[in-house]
Amino acid sequence: MLKIENIDVYYDKIHAIKNVSFEVRAGEVVSLIGANGAGKTTILKTISKLMEPTHGVILFDDQPLSKLAPHQMVYLGMAHVPEGRRVFAKMTVEENLYMGAYIRKDKTHIEKDLERVFEYFPRLKERTSQPAGTLSGGEQQMLAIGRALMSKPKLLLMDEPSMGLAPLLVQEIFNIIQEIKKSGTTILLVEQNANQALQIADRAYVLETGKITMSGNAKELLNDESIKKAYLGG
Amino acid sequence: MILFLQQIINGLSVGSVYALIALGYTMVYGIIKLINFAHGEVMMAGAYFAFVVAISSRFPFPIVLFISMVMAAIVGIVIEKLAYKPLRNAPRISALITAIGVSLFLQNLTLVIFKADPKIMPVLIEKKPINIGSLQIGTVTLTTLILAIVFMVILDVFIKKTKPGKAMRAVSEDKDASVLMGINVNKTISITFAIGSALGALGGVLYGITYTQVYPTMGIMPGLKAFVAAVLGGIGLIPGAVLGGFVIGMIETISKAYISSQWSDAIVFGLLIVVLLFKPTGILGKNEKEKV
Repeated sequence: MLKIENIDVYYDKIHAIKNVSFEVRAGEVVSLIGANGAGKTTILKTISKLMEPTHGVILFDDQPLSKLAPHQMVYLGMAHVPEGRRVFAKMTVEENLYMGAYIRKDKTHIEKDLERVFEYFPRLKERTSQPAGTLSGGEQQMLAIGRALMSKPKLLLMDEPSMGLAPLLVQEIFNIIQEIKKSGTTILLVEQNANQALQIADRAYVLETGKITMSGNAKELLNDESIKKAYLGG
Repeated sequence: MILFLQQIINGLSVGSVYALIALGYTMVYGIIKLINFAHGEVMMAGAYFAFVVAISSRFPFPIVLFISMVMAAIVGIVIEKLAYKPLRNAPRISALITAIGVSLFLQNLTLVIFKADPKIMPVLIEKKPINIGSLQIGTVTLTTLILAIVFMVILDVFIKKTKPGKAMRAVSEDKDASVLMGINVNKTISITFAIGSALGALGGVLYGITYTQVYPTMGIMPGLKAFVAAVLGGIGLIPGAVLGGFVIGMIETISKAYISSQWSDAIVFGLLIVVLLFKPTGILGKNEKEKV
């Protein structure tokens, strides 16, 4: 579904992503784990074209993305839950969710998907007319995920959904990711929380200072000694 | 008492023109964080468009107004594309200086084309007083007030209910997140300039009709006062621009009537200083805290 081939990304002169290649197949959950500053967010931003690679190709359903405008990604079936949630703080919860369905015209299906989001996150339903800026961090994360789901994506890119949340909420968010996976959505998950990310994933890649250093079956990586040491706390 | 009521109505009418122009300032600021100092000149251009159409045709007022607003919208889009878009990622001061440059350019372009002497605006709205009891209101005053309010209501509905309107709100909050929703940011910014400029032109046409003339520097003072109105109400906030416009118009009119017409501008700008001292974000502005 998604193929990244030898991409390089720069912030001015800083070489942030170095010759990275990986792929996400339809139906999979793939985790990209790595420490702070390894380049995980940069990769996701490059996939949704908020940043441009200097070299390399990104293919989505075998179609190169280079000629498309950033706002067209969602038309292809890609949705991005950005780092730091980035909900529209002054809009209500409901308006935020409808913004997720901005490009869609099938009104009846939009309503159904709204109901589905409320099933995942009943707390959002209680707060539909509240401005998103007044929600707690966890609720904002739920809203960001719900908003992305409203575009009915084939591929969901998630950037650190567990960041800054209390342990109980982290568990809740990962349970939902599990549910989304079951519904048939392909997921590329970027996480510092390597333990959770590996438990939920089919496959995983380890990113270190802009390079992929390990890859493989998530369960195997979970038991790998060097991963245990570096990311799972012994 | 009658006189006072009459002044209130005059104040509302003057204020509604400021509010229309202030909307353009605040909408553009909201979406690209730029004080578009050329906006007063877009208002002036709108008045000139109406003047040209009115002297060269026999079109009735609504059509003259419509053409003027459309032309001004195009001018607004072109200004953004040529002057501001290339600077979108440049430091904000560069765009600000460019805006002043565009403002001077438009003034001087108009000077070259139409010469410096004021032109008489043809009578687009027949002037006759309307009597309500012992209250006497001019048709121009009344038309100004009604048109301004109608367009403000249309704008409000547009921004709250339509997709391009929601896109404008989304882009003004968070450009990257809007892109992720599939919103074409460039198109949305163009729409914002178009609407702001059209409203500015409406203000300009009404201003030109009220004072029965158009001239190249006519945009400076109302532009400045509308800018003050936008800041007073809370820059970037649409209700703030409307409120600010009416407050400025009212204070100006009342101080002209009861204090001194020479001092009225000083009083208006003095008020801005006072408000900013106590509430730097404007009357409706909030200090926003971000959740991390």
